[in-house]
Amino acid sequence: MTPFDRLIGRLLIGVTYVAGALLLVGVLLMLAAGIDPLSGGPSLDPGAVVGDVVSLQPAGFLWLGLLAVIATPISRVVAAAVAFASAGERRMVGVALAILLVIAVSVATAVAAS
Amino acid sequence: MGVALLMIAGGAAAGLFGSLLGLGGGVLIVPLLTLVFGLELREAVGVSLVSVIMTSSVAAGVYLERHVADLRLGMRLELFTALGALVGGSIAFLIEERLLALLFAGLLAYVAVSMLRARTAEEGAVAASDDALAGSVRNMPLGLVGATGAGVVSALLGVGGGIIKVPLMHLGMGVPLRVSTATSNLMVGITGAGGAVIYLIHGEIDPYVAGPTVIGVFLGASLGSRVAHRIDLRVLRWLFVAVLLYTAIQMLLRVIG
Repeated sequence: MTPFDRLIGRLLIGVTYVAGALLLVGVLLMLAAGIDPLSGGPSLDPGAVVGDVVSLQPAGFLWLGLLAVIATPISRVVAAAVAFASAGERRMVGVALAILLVIAVSVATAVAAS
Repeated sequence: MGVALLMIAGGAAAGLFGSLLGLGGGVLIVPLLTLVFGLELREAVGVSLVSVIMTSSVAAGVYLERHVADLRLGMRLELFTALGALVGGSIAFLIEERLLALLFAGLLAYVAVSMLRARTAEEGAVAASDDALAGSVRNMPLGLVGATGAGVVSALLGVGGGIIKVPLMHLGMGVPLRVSTATSNLMVGITGAGGAVIYLIHGEIDPYVAGPTVIGVFLGASLGSRVAHRIDLRVLRWLFVAVLLYTAIQMLLRVIG
């Protein structure tokens, strides 16, 4: 599994730096626009994120960066599932899929409760 | 602009302190955002969870590349930390904020006591320093129960939970300390993500607060990992314990007030 470990390690580092870069751009745009962080930011509207990024709105970059940060460990589990599947380790594939299922249940539970 | 820069600086200080003392920084971010910037506790917890995911992801990536973290053990345990995070994140929206603050004050006191006992742990680290991965792990049922508890605490209070997971793996399951620390770091990501999605959907993550704080924490943690070997941590540890106890008292006053 060592080559997979290395690949997954690089994936984690790469995606995190991309997420960090998006957040940094968002913060710089926020500073340039003189936005007070305590003024209350816009809530997440998935349909508006890309449009906000294209029009250089700080919220677009910030949301994209935050979503990328949260998605990073989840993408690591997906990558691990693929790696374990290609190595024929069915038990670990099951563990990876179970983790993804728990995350999906977390989303569904929160949507139902909110 | 001033508040945003203060948030970056505060996040950097929390990340630096956390990194120097082997903590994710979440234990300082929540008090920083609530006591200094006046945020609601749940909002601070949501932002803190994103911060700990960010700092742990890079560290976990490096540990995996160097083959120090045990991916298989980490994934088995994080299935249960994710379950705990689901429970903790759900409970957080059912209980009163004052009770949440009381629990956080208890956590701060626990971390302070753990830091005071850190000398013993360091001695253990030398004895257990071992490049091999976990190998034969004992007491897996204890690990699964402990991991679930760590997940609950993480999502409820916005911390990475390493303060629970590292002793659990090292002392409870016989995993070498180096591997325990690396594997705990790996697990923080999924545990944090499990909790963060709940706070995100409940609208408790404000991008204007999270952006500067996460960037600050990331910068501070990166700096801390580079300068840790040059700093005498004994004085810093005592200072940190004092800060934790002072913060615990402030949190208790918040509960009473």
